[in-house]
Amino acid sequence: MNSFVNKIISSLAISASFVFASINAEMEGLEVVSRDDGTFLIGSPTFYFDRTLGAGGIHSESELWTPRKLRYRLLFDRMSVLPSWDPIETPSVWMKSGNELGDLIYYDILTNPKERPINRTPILEGGFRTPIFHGLWATFRLFQDDYYCFRSAYGVRQKQVDGYFSFFGENWPMFSSAYGGLGFTNDFIDASVLVGMEYMWLFTESSRWIPVQFKPRVEARADFGNFSTTLVYENAEYQNKRKKETGERTEVNGSIIYKCGESCRRGMLQLSAGLAFRFVGDDGVVYTGLNNDRVLWPFLEMNVRPQEHLKFDVMFGINDRDWLVQDSVEYNIPVLEKMNVSVGAKNISGTRLNPIADTHEFFDGDTISLTAAGHMDLLQGYVRFEDSLTSFLGFGLRGSFWTEYGAETFDTEEFVDDQIYTFRHGDVSRINSWIKGVTGEFWLKLWLKDVFNFTALTGFERIDGEEKRFEVNPSEFFVQFNADWLIKKMFRISHSIRYRSDAQWNLRSRDPFVVKGDWFWDATFEQRFPKWGISLTGTIIQALGKEVIEAPNGEYSRVRFVCTAKKAF
Amino acid sequence: MKKIITLLALSLVSLLHAEDSLAFRNDSAAVKDDISFSHFAVFLEGGEIYPMGDLMDAVENALYGGIGVRYSYWENVDGVVMFQYTYFKPAIDVYIDGVHQFMGRVGVDWKWNPIHPVVLGGGFTCSWTHADSEAQKWSEPGGTLTDNETEFGWYARISLPVFKYQKYSLGFNVMWEHLWTLPKSSNMLSAGITLERSIW
Repeated sequence: MNSFVNKIISSLAISASFVFASINAEMEGLEVVSRDDGTFLIGSPTFYFDRTLGAGGIHSESELWTPRKLRYRLLFDRMSVLPSWDPIETPSVWMKSGNELGDLIYYDILTNPKERPINRTPILEGGFRTPIFHGLWATFRLFQDDYYCFRSAYGVRQKQVDGYFSFFGENWPMFSSAYGGLGFTNDFIDASVLVGMEYMWLFTESSRWIPVQFKPRVEARADFGNFSTTLVYENAEYQNKRKKETGERTEVNGSIIYKCGESCRRGMLQLSAGLAFRFVGDDGVVYTGLNNDRVLWPFLEMNVRPQEHLKFDVMFGINDRDWLVQDSVEYNIPVLEKMNVSVGAKNISGTRLNPIADTHEFFDGDTISLTAAGHMDLLQGYVRFEDSLTSFLGFGLRGSFWTEYGAETFDTEEFVDDQIYTFRHGDVSRINSWIKGVTGEFWLKLWLKDVFNFTALTGFERIDGEEKRFEVNPSEFFVQFNADWLIKKMFRISHSIRYRSDAQWNLRSRDPFVVKGDWFWDATFEQRFPKWGISLTGTIIQALGKEVIEAPNGEYSRVRFVCTAKKAF
Repeated sequence: MKKIITLLALSLVSLLHAEDSLAFRNDSAAVKDDISFSHFAVFLEGGEIYPMGDLMDAVENALYGGIGVRYSYWENVDGVVMFQYTYFKPAIDVYIDGVHQFMGRVGVDWKWNPIHPVVLGGGFTCSWTHADSEAQKWSEPGGTLTDNETEFGWYARISLPVFKYQKYSLGFNVMWEHLWTLPKSSNMLSAGITLERSIW
């Protein structure tokens, strides 16, 4: 390996390990809770705004479709890891339990019932995956997150549905999921079929929480040769008990992708091509709609490495309704090799950030269009520099400038109050003027073999434009200090302390909804037993910060503790 | 030098950010050094719990009992897992007769040579409570306890083995427990006797 490649790999590897400390996420897909290197505002596990500072544009990452997210879940118009139906790959058994801190226990005997703090709620998960037997394996998983749920549980959401709306308990969690299935894995194929049921509350453009029960949901996957295929069947039941409305959606969706093989990956040009699709059949009141009841989304990916220092990546998708291009170029400047300087540019253009999502939402006689005429263009240029001064100290910086025309936003025509919520009428539209942003990040790292690492990371962003009709004004500044210790290869302590400045939601309430800046502290303690393949962890999440609601119509983000036990077979 | 940095960086990534959170079991050096479970013991424990601070006005002192396991983790450090049960009676007149409380604790005991044979311990604790009551009067004091209430916290303890005979040992321990409850944290002190039998 030559020194230049070495440098790049070491820079990437080190930065990957330092961007955020190894805080255990409370659930797959909720890593965003412990991130503040940008704007990460959580309304519930099923709805959040997640935008890394310096990403460019005013959209959040989950709003954007990319081929990487083919097996993510489509939650209304966002691509989400949670609730993940990726089978856990390690043959193991695991259990997770936790609670938001602040139940009364014996203080309830001393407290006036009218002055009780609001109830704190738990998290729950259990599952297993068997070892492979003649290529066959089985898995089961039950998981639900009762955090971010109690404010609206009894007064509002309970009245929307018949009976209990979760597998376990009475807290009305925003999702509750269970699946089981079989798989077959050998040298040629990795295939699985999972069958399950799921309760979920989806957040829509009108700002409503819509209960959906997937009964059943079936997901089949097969990876063979250079192909990855996914086929999903969902029977989704919709209801609103208050309005005596019911509906049902039968959906078949999935994807097939051809990925560049081993030999082509070593070449100058790498090509991948695929197709994502959805077919839906709606009956009764379903609250959202898809034009022609189907979407077919063919796409092409191309990575070109014309020389050692230069790389181009392009993704292009098109169908009868939409087109989307995402491309980037990066050049590591050879004359500045010792300083490891790279310059790059990225572009996103398209008629829609998520071309596979539904096209309409139906709200009290109104049809909210989820597509806007025209298209958006985002251009970003950046300079990045990273180096290690010694074998235990490194630092880097990245500066970027971006500009976006036609950014997706929402034209709010009317607000409607309903109990604790404010809903909105209007349509998805565009900001047809240029928005400009400038960003800067700086990081400093210290590490000692595989025992300790520390990083201090800070960033700022300034956004300007003629029309500031952003759904979210991102946070402008953050600073964070992360550290991981691994003692005798068996005991891990990871912690992250960070500050994020104010962020602000617009367009979803009459007055701007400000999420005040705050400090947060997270920590994970893990006992490892390498010989036995056992891990015991305890994680404190969102400590220090004031417990606030981070999104309109959202729920409180509270300090919580999660413990997990895992045993590999 | 860069190669070293690369290797270190990659090993950090693999150790700390592995997709497979149990990947450390594939680290042969870690497996070789792992002496965990080279000793294993079970114990019975019993004693009394004393609520502290405001909680003295809420519930009375109570007896507790439990079981646990102790296993070697490092040379001077044992891992401990405990399950205990107690029954608290209210100290004031409320409609519930009492509260069943189950406690689960995971922690470590540190056999620090300078203070031998005293052992220092600490870890996380979780209390699960359920009121002993037929009625469910949510709007009265104690009402939330008729639902299942759970809270986490930490504990610290000192143990003193005073008597050893073959595979058995008998000792005292004193524990401070801190639960992250509201409107204030809950503190309790417990003192007990432990009878331990080494299994291997």
